[in-house]
Amino acid sequence: MHKYELVLLRLLAKKGVPLRPAEILEVSGINRDSLFWAVENLRSKGYIDVHRSIEKYATITEEGKKYAESKLPELQLLDKLAANGPIEISSMRSSEDQISLKWAKEKGFIAFQNGKMVLTDKGANAQKSGIEEDIVLKELYKNPEKISDFEAKYASSVSQLEKRKLIIIGSKNGISSVEITPKGLRAAEEEQEDEEAINTIDRRIIASRAWEGKKFKPYDISLDVEKQYIAKQNPLREAINRIKEIYLSSGYMEATGPIVLPAFWTFDSLFVPQDHPARDMQDTFYLSNPSSISVDNPRLLKKVKKAQEEAWHIGWSKEIAEQAVLRTQTTSVSIAKLYSAEVLKYNMPIKMFSVGRVFRNENIDPEHLADFYQTDGIVIGRKLTLANLFDSILRIYKPLGVKIRFKPSYFPFVEPGVEVQVYYEPKKKWLELGGAGIIRKEITDIVSSEIKVLAWGLGVERILLAKDPGIKGIYELYNNGIGWLRNKKAVIL
Amino acid sequence: MTFEKAYLFSLTKFKLSDARLIDQITKMGFDVEDNNASEISVDITPNRPDLLDIYGFARALRYFMHRSKRFDYKVESKVPALSLSVGQNVKAIRPFISSFVAEGKGISENELKYLVNFSEKLGSIYGRNRKRLAMGLHDFSKIKPPVSYDAFSDLTFIPLNESREMRFSDVLKENEKGISYSHTIRNSEGKTFYPALVDAEGVMSFIPIINSNRTKLSTGAKSIFVDITGTSQYIIEKAADLFASVFIDLGYVISPVEVKYKSKAVMYPQMSSTTITIPASRIEENIGVRIGPNNIVSLANKMGYKAAIVGSNIRFVTPPYRLDIFNEQDVIEDIAIGYGYDYIQPEPIPSVQQGSLEDVTRLTGMLSKLMLGLGFSEMMNSYLTSEETNFDKMLLKHDSDYVKIKFSKEKQLNMLRNWILPQLIYNASLSQHEKLPQKTFELDMVFSLAGGKTLEEYHLAGLIVDAKANFNEIKGIVEALLSTVGLQYSIKEDKIGSFIAGRQAGIYVGNKKVGFFGEIHPQVLNNFGLEEPATAFEINISQAFQQ
Repeated sequence: MHKYELVLLRLLAKKGVPLRPAEILEVSGINRDSLFWAVENLRSKGYIDVHRSIEKYATITEEGKKYAESKLPELQLLDKLAANGPIEISSMRSSEDQISLKWAKEKGFIAFQNGKMVLTDKGANAQKSGIEEDIVLKELYKNPEKISDFEAKYASSVSQLEKRKLIIIGSKNGISSVEITPKGLRAAEEEQEDEEAINTIDRRIIASRAWEGKKFKPYDISLDVEKQYIAKQNPLREAINRIKEIYLSSGYMEATGPIVLPAFWTFDSLFVPQDHPARDMQDTFYLSNPSSISVDNPRLLKKVKKAQEEAWHIGWSKEIAEQAVLRTQTTSVSIAKLYSAEVLKYNMPIKMFSVGRVFRNENIDPEHLADFYQTDGIVIGRKLTLANLFDSILRIYKPLGVKIRFKPSYFPFVEPGVEVQVYYEPKKKWLELGGAGIIRKEITDIVSSEIKVLAWGLGVERILLAKDPGIKGIYELYNNGIGWLRNKKAVIL
Repeated sequence: MTFEKAYLFSLTKFKLSDARLIDQITKMGFDVEDNNASEISVDITPNRPDLLDIYGFARALRYFMHRSKRFDYKVESKVPALSLSVGQNVKAIRPFISSFVAEGKGISENELKYLVNFSEKLGSIYGRNRKRLAMGLHDFSKIKPPVSYDAFSDLTFIPLNESREMRFSDVLKENEKGISYSHTIRNSEGKTFYPALVDAEGVMSFIPIINSNRTKLSTGAKSIFVDITGTSQYIIEKAADLFASVFIDLGYVISPVEVKYKSKAVMYPQMSSTTITIPASRIEENIGVRIGPNNIVSLANKMGYKAAIVGSNIRFVTPPYRLDIFNEQDVIEDIAIGYGYDYIQPEPIPSVQQGSLEDVTRLTGMLSKLMLGLGFSEMMNSYLTSEETNFDKMLLKHDSDYVKIKFSKEKQLNMLRNWILPQLIYNASLSQHEKLPQKTFELDMVFSLAGGKTLEEYHLAGLIVDAKANFNEIKGIVEALLSTVGLQYSIKEDKIGSFIAGRQAGIYVGNKKVGFFGEIHPQVLNNFGLEEPATAFEINISQAFQQ
């Protein structure tokens, strides 16, 4: 029940008699419009009966308003006489002068002496104390709906004002009184009980034990409530973290390496010939600032140059190898670690991994991104086999619960070469996850002819795609839709 | 490569169901890209130019399914069909040529189509758009010796399928092939050469652009002249072996061509093979399975090698058409493929090494958790961005110390970001219909240049978009974060154009500025089309946490 309805209902229940709207307005503090709204609501619920009657009302005319805001003209004339003494009658020419003269004369407030008017005793008295007619006009101006009360008390003044056309009395069909019904009485009693039940619990209620012996107001539990959102980690980050966790638990050391590097580390050191299509500007991001990055390892450069020239039968240029690019795979991180002399200090087999972004100069569409994540693993040892490679990769991916298979393929820096594929259930097909293999001897011999290196570089996003049915495509991950993330279901990877 | 299945099976002399065919191709190491009722498309890896034609592919499939017993690819005749002299002028641009003549019963329509197609593919893929290798086919009966290869002056001839005589220079300007391949005969100084094969009647071929119409090869021709030119002697020699092997498969008889350089003469094709001897145990040790010498020989045959057991070793003879067998590891891969990757049992590596994470991984992991705890959701944006987003929209001048991309297919991506905030604002601008407040963060890499060196650092940026977003709130968040991680920091006035003056501050660790925060300037919000107030911070994690 609305506040105003409740106030009205309680008032009627307390008084026990029909009340007129004017009475209610006086004691309830509700304004006129709200009261009639509450009356109508309670009536429609059957809580009250409404008695109607013809109701008089007063309208104040323009002239009446003017006098209500100041004084009746005859009183104004009395003021002048009191202040200035007798006035020449001949000077009273305007129509207003005539009106004031007429009423002052009629009411016996003035007398004429030698062409001048003077105050009578009655007039002097009226000038000092005012007159009923003037007071009634002022009151009606404020409360025109009280016309019936005024008529009852000051009948002659009201009729005089009406005669003078300062007010017009009309009538309309209105509410004369409202009365509570038995149903309304019951409702008021129930509301009373409810009022004592506890709604919002606050500190005061708990601290003062005000709740003791009271009921708690029950809520409508089916109502829609304001939506709450959880601050979330990006699903891609979750996948990366999970992959790192698996590598960690499998005894791999994390390695990181630069993204901006000379082509040498992403191509030449990986046995990719300098005229290989993958090195084209159409596929790889070359930089204009910095445009080249020197490789300060003359011994390594010499060895790579020799290996390249022998295998590919084309010249090898240091300038091409030093062009600055964005790495195209994370294998460059592993290879750089491999070439760093420190790696051989560890006990073999050495297991390392990295997770990082790689870049391809692509036209971006839902299937193709210019940068995405790759995870790279290498195992350095003396006796390592293709069977060891398969096992190493399966150990990383088995905990993720995705289906993996191996097929032969070609990558310039590995031999044998392996394509790792992941089964993508929604499309019922195998997707390429990346490449793997045993690093070519031309590369590993530069470090030591005693070692063998297993390596793999696999996509991260596709794993997530295969694991999480809530992700429609790789593009969703990089759209960074706040709404998408807010509504994204959590998935255990 | 797209192959007509009916023709493929007429060459293999056996038929396979689609499922079986796809399975075999996958096991051979290739991806089937498409398959319909009549054709199958296979992605041939770049190491196998010998499979860029249906004949080579049918041959490999035959071997792989043990349906071929023939391992000799030889040239019987020692008498050259032709002597071809090489002049001095061509040395500077395209020095090498190999050639041979194939004689048969008359070339069929299919053969002509597939052989021309093969020569095109070989030139474009293996030949790097004809730069390092290109080949031509001619009707040998239309050639009038003597034949020479050299770079000439601007001669005239009627190019293939043209009806008028044209100068070399006109071909480069007007003929489609001339326009496409003119770069192959321009040297690094921009000088254009005109390499050509010329016989007694004039130009046979403008190399490597287009043949003459006069020596055009048509269906029914009985002897075919093949020329192969390029920039690497090894490659043109192997390409001749490769191409001659196809003719041998088709039943042609190969007659050699003698190529006479100033100081030496060479007969082509050489049909050269490499003999590689590997201990059987080493093969098994590399693959990680027990195979046995006899099985190794059988697997070698399956992959097209001649092989024999010699003591504890296996001696492999590579087929002349394989260009990708450098040494024993390449042979071992073929044995592994022959064995079947599916049959190799994964075998664990014994290891006692303990895993470890890089410091930066642990640091960023902790900071991410704190941000999530503060109610910020994680965004992950591209490291690539545009100067417009990174600078202009943020009301910043372009400094010069950022990593710039030389060429990008997406014009909008022309640099590596040097801060994260612009992308967070961009993300928010796309999610304006979402309920406020929106709190997002990103913790990842940014790139800058210092003294010519690239700095790859981690930044943490946070953004609040909210009707009530204000300086005090973001300051509270920055302070909560910094005090939680125990950084000794101070806060000073800052003047970054992206923020409202007087409502921003810099974060200092010691004397070094490591970040900033404040209320984002309304002009910046307008630039991104964002219509709600926003505050943000960005901290250089790499510098703030140094030592």
